[in-house]
Amino acid sequence: MALTLTCPVCGKRNGYEFRYGGEEKGPRPDEADLTPQAWCEYVHMNKCVAGIQKEWWCHKDGCGVWFTTHRNTTCNLEVDTPEAQS
Amino acid sequence: MLRKSKRLWGDQAALKSSYDAVIIGGGLHGLAAAYFLARDHGIKNVAVIEKRFLGFGGSGRNTAIVRANQRTQQNVPLYKEALELWPILTKELDYNLMFFNCGNLNLMHSEAAMNTARMNVATAQFHGVESHLIDAKQCKELVPALNISKDITYPIFGAMYHPPGGILRHDAIVWGLAKGAAKHGVHLHQQTEVTGIGVENGKIVSVETDKGRIKTPRVLNAAGGYSAALSYQMLGIKLPISVLTIQAMVTQPLKPILDHVVSSGTYHAYANQTLKGEIATGAHMDAWPNYTTQTTAYYIKHQAEALSEMLPCLRGVKFMRHWGGLADMTPDMAPIMDGNNLIEGYYMDCGWGYFGFKSCAATGKYMAQFISSGNCPEMLKPFNLSRFEQNRLMGETAALVNYTPDN
Ligand SMILES: Cc1cc2nc3c(=O)[nH]c(=O)nc-3n(C[C@H](O)[C@H](O)[C@H](O)COP(=O)(O)OP(=O)(O)OC[C@H]3O[C@@H](n4cnc5c(N)ncnc54)[C@H](O)[C@@H]3O)c2cc1C
Ligand SMILES: [Zn+2]
Repeated sequence: MALTLTCPVCGKRNGYEFRYGGEEKGPRPDEADLTPQAWCEYVHMNKCVAGIQKEWWCHKDGCGVWFTTHRNTTCNLEVDTPEAQS
Repeated sequence: MLRKSKRLWGDQAALKSSYDAVIIGGGLHGLAAAYFLARDHGIKNVAVIEKRFLGFGGSGRNTAIVRANQRTQQNVPLYKEALELWPILTKELDYNLMFFNCGNLNLMHSEAAMNTARMNVATAQFHGVESHLIDAKQCKELVPALNISKDITYPIFGAMYHPPGGILRHDAIVWGLAKGAAKHGVHLHQQTEVTGIGVENGKIVSVETDKGRIKTPRVLNAAGGYSAALSYQMLGIKLPISVLTIQAMVTQPLKPILDHVVSSGTYHAYANQTLKGEIATGAHMDAWPNYTTQTTAYYIKHQAEALSEMLPCLRGVKFMRHWGGLADMTPDMAPIMDGNNLIEGYYMDCGWGYFGFKSCAATGKYMAQFISSGNCPEMLKPFNLSRFEQNRLMGETAALVNYTPDN
């Protein structure tokens, strides 16, 4: 489907050049005192927002950079800010 | 409309202010749970709340394949029971479900794949499910249209042959269960959206809808593709789910040429001929989460390429319809059925991905047991949510799925 993403290095490119890297969940939890719950939360759990979410992408078939962006999951459109209307 | 038509499940009743159980989602899992709650457990004061219409979700969009040759010993018994239920339900619901047990042929394209199939076959046979390993020549004998030449991208080495599987008309089972549930007193509320779930002192007390509040001590989340979003939004419970659009299509109707479900993981394509003659074929999944249900030219090309190699007689045949639906995928390709623990009276039946059609009736039967007694039946215990925390993923897939960051 139509998906265009903006790579911070290469600019707007076809979505099929990228690999999805998951919902943005903050920094990887510290290993000291890490509980199975906290690890599971970081690795597996998702909010599955039907709307705008912050997420990771890798420009796999391009420059290889990892970056975050905001996308509306109900229409596959990248948005500038999380406040943008869906 | 000139003809006065009557709904199979009668007129929509007025929404009551309280029910003994509220089921979110008028898909097959919700309808089956409602049917068995009312029929077997005397809980008849039940509402199924559906925001669009019955079967609007995956239940009316799937490619209708049923089988019981899964990979793990926790999964096979549930699917086996599900498969055995179709002829029984056809009678019980007094509705033609158009079950065609033509058998499934799961193609293998390498020696390594043949070895994996050997294990799968052993698991099936151990559980009393008929499944055989066959070679390429035997595949050709069963399905003459199949291309077993060495001169294709992925030559066929053999197949896992599962005679009792096949296809079932997906709309028919939606309508049949709706009719059955209504007969036992269940209220089916279409065009009604659940907007919130009320919890007090750790117990379910109500469900908010756009048509008003319903008091209830029990809620089942069977919202399919929306179950994870709903769970987080309404209860703050995150689930290990990614929601992806998955597509399927049918060709123009043809004379009978294919009397088995043929599937290939390597070609990423499967096909079967419906009783109307169309070749129903799927399924391409987007590689990133989205709720669009949009279709793509990219996928039409993929499917045309795969089919013209596997089944060359289909070259030049036209695709007639093409559609998308949502698949709520878990990391281990097995569903999540759990409840009455995080919140008293809250149950979930979700994470069914692209395989929740074939299991719906048996699952509804066990979920009804669960919801009526508050205790999880043995059959469903392996599917609990805490398996992810315990790092005991179920292994329904041999390799990691590719929509997660960790592949
Ligand atoms: C293209 C495609 C092919 C597939 N092929 C197969 C196959 O061959 N074999 C197989 O076994 N499985 C297949 N599946 C998977 C199968 O269709 C699903 O797993 C199954 O239908 C799930 O049923 P369900 O009742 O859980 O969800 P659904 O049928 O999706 O029902 C959920 C319902 O909840 C409603 N809802 C959502 N939010 C709310 C709310 N807030 N309030 C009220 N209602 C709400 C929705 O409108 C929807 O009707 C396929 C799926 C797709 C999309
Ligand atoms: Zn780039």
